Order: sequence, then C-alpha cells, then structure tokens
Amino acid sequence: MIVAMAWLFLRHDAFLYTNPVGQVTRVSEKETQKITDEHQNSDFIMTQKITVKLLNHAKKTIYVSNSYAQSQVISNKYRVGDQLLLENIGSTKHILSLKRDAVVGALATLLVGLLLIYSKWRATSWLMFSLVINIILFGFALFINVHSKDANVLLLFSVLAILFATASLALVLGKTLQMGITLLTTLLTTTLTIGLLLCVLRLTNNAGVHFETMSYVTQVPVTLFMAQTIIGVLGAVMDEAADIVAMQFGMRREGITRHFSDYWHAGMSVGREIMGTLINVLFMIFIAETMPMVFLMLRNGNNWTYIMDQTMNLGILQTVISGIGIVLAVPVTSALVGWIMARKVTKL
Amino acid sequence: MNAIGILVIILFVLMVVVGRIQGVKAFLGLVCNFFAIFILIILINWQFNAYIVTAIISVIILAVAIYLGSDNIEVTNIAFKTSVIVVAILMALSIILQYFGQFQGFTTENSEELEGLSLTVGLSFSDIAMVVMVISVLGAVAEAAMAISADLNEVIERSPDMTGTSLYAHSRIIGGQILGTAINTLFFGVLGANIPLLIWFVRLHYPVAMFVNAKLLMTEIVTMLLGMLGILLSIWIASWFIVRTNVKQQKVRIKHERDI
Repeated sequence: MIVAMAWLFLRHDAFLYTNPVGQVTRVSEKETQKITDEHQNSDFIMTQKITVKLLNHAKKTIYVSNSYAQSQVISNKYRVGDQLLLENIGSTKHILSLKRDAVVGALATLLVGLLLIYSKWRATSWLMFSLVINIILFGFALFINVHSKDANVLLLFSVLAILFATASLALVLGKTLQMGITLLTTLLTTTLTIGLLLCVLRLTNNAGVHFETMSYVTQVPVTLFMAQTIIGVLGAVMDEAADIVAMQFGMRREGITRHFSDYWHAGMSVGREIMGTLINVLFMIFIAETMPMVFLMLRNGNNWTYIMDQTMNLGILQTVISGIGIVLAVPVTSALVGWIMARKVTKL
Repeated sequence: MNAIGILVIILFVLMVVVGRIQGVKAFLGLVCNFFAIFILIILINWQFNAYIVTAIISVIILAVAIYLGSDNIEVTNIAFKTSVIVVAILMALSIILQYFGQFQGFTTENSEELEGLSLTVGLSFSDIAMVVMVISVLGAVAEAAMAISADLNEVIERSPDMTGTSLYAHSRIIGGQILGTAINTLFFGVLGANIPLLIWFVRLHYPVAMFVNAKLLMTEIVTMLLGMLGILLSIWIASWFIVRTNVKQQKVRIKHERDI
C-alpha cells in the first residue's frame, strides 16, 4: 500500500521539476519503414505522432513526433500513459527522457518497507543511515574532484575509501574492538591488493589492458579506473573481513584460552567457504553490465576476440582484482585477529 | 606478457593456496558460469525466446554457484530451492519494471562508443534489459542464500534440541548481520562502477531532473535495488525453510520416541 502511495506521489510530482513534464495522452503510428543494414539485420523504423499534455507550468497540450526502431537500441517507443521529461529548445519542445522516478521510487519504497518488516526499526535505520552518509561523502568527493583542477584523484578516492569503511563499519558494528579490527584488516587487504595491481601493471607496462575502452571518460582514465577499483575492492573485502572477524569473536566469547593456531584455522575455514560465492557476486554484476554492448557488437558482425577486448577487458581486470582482494582477505584477517587475540591472552 | 593473464594466474594460485580443494572448485565454478553466460548470449543472439533462455541458464548458474560452493547437502539443497524461488520472483518483478521504466539500450551519452555500429539490429533490447537485471542479481541471491543456510545449519548442529521459535530468533540475528554486509558490498560495487558516469553527469551540469530520470543511472540503481531485494528475500525464505524442516524433524523425533 505504501508502495502504491509512493508511486502515486511520484507520478504527480511534476510541480517539483523546472523542466516541462508531460503525459502522453494519444499516440498514432504514422509510418513504418523496413530497413536492412549491411549485416543483414532487418528492423522496422516507426514514426510516432505523440500528443502530450503538459503537467506543469502552462497546462496545455502539445504535439511531438518521435521515431524509433523496433529493437529500441537507442530510440524509444512511447505509449499512452508514459510521462516524459521535455526540454525547451527555442520555441519547440523536445523529449529529453522518459520520466522514471515513479518506478524507481516505488521499488526503493518496496525494499525499505520489506526491510522494516523483516528486521527491527533500529537496525534498518542504521543501515539506511550508513548508506545515506556514504552517498553524501561520495557526493562531496565528486564535488572536489570536479571543481579543483589539480586534485590528486587517487589520493582523494583513497581517503574516501577510508572514510567509507570507517562510517559503515562504525554504524553497523558500533564503536567496539571488533569494529576496529575489521577496519584494520579491510584497509590492510585493500592496500595490499591495490599495491599488487600497481606492481603487475608497472612490470608488464599495461600490456593487454585497454584503458582507452573505458566509457564516459572526462579525465585521465587510468586514475579513474584505480578509483573505481579501490571502492569496489573495499566493499568486497569489508564484507568478507566482517564475516570472519564476527565468527572469530564468537569463538573468543565461548572460551578465552585459545591459541593463535585455533583462530587461524577457524578463520581460514570460514573464509574458504565464502570466498567463492563472493567472487561470483561481483562477477555476475560485471558480466551483466557488459551484455547489451556484446549483443550490439555481435550483431554488427564482430568476432568474439575483438568484442572481449573492447567490452570486457577492464571489467575482467576489475573482477580479477576484487577476487584477489577477497582471497587475500582470508589469511590477512585470520592472522591479524589470531595475533591480536593471542597477545591479549598472554597479557592477561 | 599480458597483465590480465598474470593477474588471473595470481588469483588462481592464491585460491588454491588459501582455499585448497574448495578454492579449485570455486575457480572452476567461475569458469563454468562464464561459459553458461556465453551460451546465453549466443542463444539470445540466435533469436531464441529470451525469457525461456534466461530462466534455464539462471537455474544452471545458481546450481553451479551453490553446489560447487559447499559439500553439505542439506545446506545446498535449501539454498538452491530458495534462490530459484527468489530469482523467479525477481524475474517477474524485472519484467514489470522494464515495462514501466523502459531501461533498454543505450543513450546519447554512449554515442562515442556506438560510432560506426549499426543500431537497427533487429534484436529486442527491451528483452535484453530484463536479462541484464536478472543475471546481475544471481550472484547476490546465491551468496545470501548460502550464507544464511550454512550459518543456521551450524546453529542446529551445535544445539539440536532448539525449539522452532528460538531458532527463528537466531535466524533473525544472523540474517540481520548478513543483510548489512551484503547490502554494503553491492552498494560499493555499484558506486565504484559508476564513478565515471557520475563525474560525467556532474561535469556537464546535468539538471537534477536528469539525475533521477536518466536511463543509464536509473538502470544501475534499479539493478542495485533488485539485488538488495534479492538478498533480503533469500534470507527470509531460506530461514523460513530451515525452521520449518527443523520443526518437522523434531515432531517426527518426538513421535518416534513416543512409539517406542
């Protein structure tokens, strides 16, 4: 019910926009044209005449025309009921984008609602709070990056990573020894992994790595890639380190007089079980993201080697690095916790 | 030599050293899944029905990820059952989302990459958008289902006489912890991947309206939200399954003792 309400609200939030927003009230398909490209793919091009009722500013009706291909690779088919974001160019209005906030907002509300039903109000709000803080931190880093010309991107995102880790761990675990150790191992492993990556890249002189294939580049791609990798590795390593440390602290609660080797073996066995599936999570996300481009290039008659080189190169590199981080986290965490615990026992 | 090749070898060696047999299995699982997706792409490219192909390949990927991940048959069966149900729900949801949100294809921001490519390829990119959403949540769902069932199974083994309600309470605590860390992983993964795009948006002074409606960014966010939903649902359903089977087993045991 709350989801429906959020959806209704976001469908009617046109007054919040400075751009004109309109709702499609009538669509008539004007003409159809069959075309075949040089790779024997046939497709239909349609032209729509769309009647749009404006929802903010002047509440009048305008007409726009739109043409799209049946496969909708880049063009879009609009239907009655769709809300559009428009843009004034001169005296005519152009379609900027479909208005998607209602769908996304409804999904987000559904998620938060279910989270609230599942876990207690407090736990959920802490989790949400940590996500919000991270988004704010991230926005701040982006702002610095964009507005100062000589900002050291790598340093900026490293600091951001440290802040991320501290904020999320402190909010989820509280200010405890457990949190401190998890933070320490996370940062240590991330540094080790990035160091390894830099070494290999320097030794091989970036052989086989195509930084130039990166999308949406507005600055030096290499540092941007490093920034991406640091944040990605951090998340994965933090997840695993938190799990291992939590288990090892559980052991400590059960019996104080344990040796380094006990902690080490227990940590390793838990880590072994989770590392495979964790790498799989990142792998699936990355490979799904490259899929549209792979389809498009396949249809354009490219061979697989070229497609892999162009679309999957950096993604594979990033997944492999995260994988190395995840694997490295196992011995690092086990050893560090074991060492600290063993020292504590001897001190007592 | 190729830098990526070296790193893959390093990863493999590390997995074997740290994980021993389990590490080898996990590496094999990754390779298998890579080929499964390869087949998925080829089949859809041959104009097979995208919905059916995705459903079948998803089940295969889940099976590989789960059954190669652990040897405990009780854990894997429950995890598998759970993740198939969750992925079915998410697939239905993604079809609805795709219908309303139209997340398919590329935008003018991609025009540099699209140069020289024919854009009238006669393949429904609307279906592909759905495939992308489903595939990207598979890993997260499998991971969460495995984690909760493995942990709860350990709790049951440690104290087999636990009542249904107290087991349920345990599942809540463990579930909450898994949820927190898994959601963070997903969040950072997506955030990291989108740094260039976000910088692009900020640099070119996109209006706020585009931040909350633009196709590229919204696709990423919807994928992330679906993943989080998947994690939550798998924890929920898996713990329900475990508690139910546990209660049933206890009833059988009590009945059995009474008969004696």
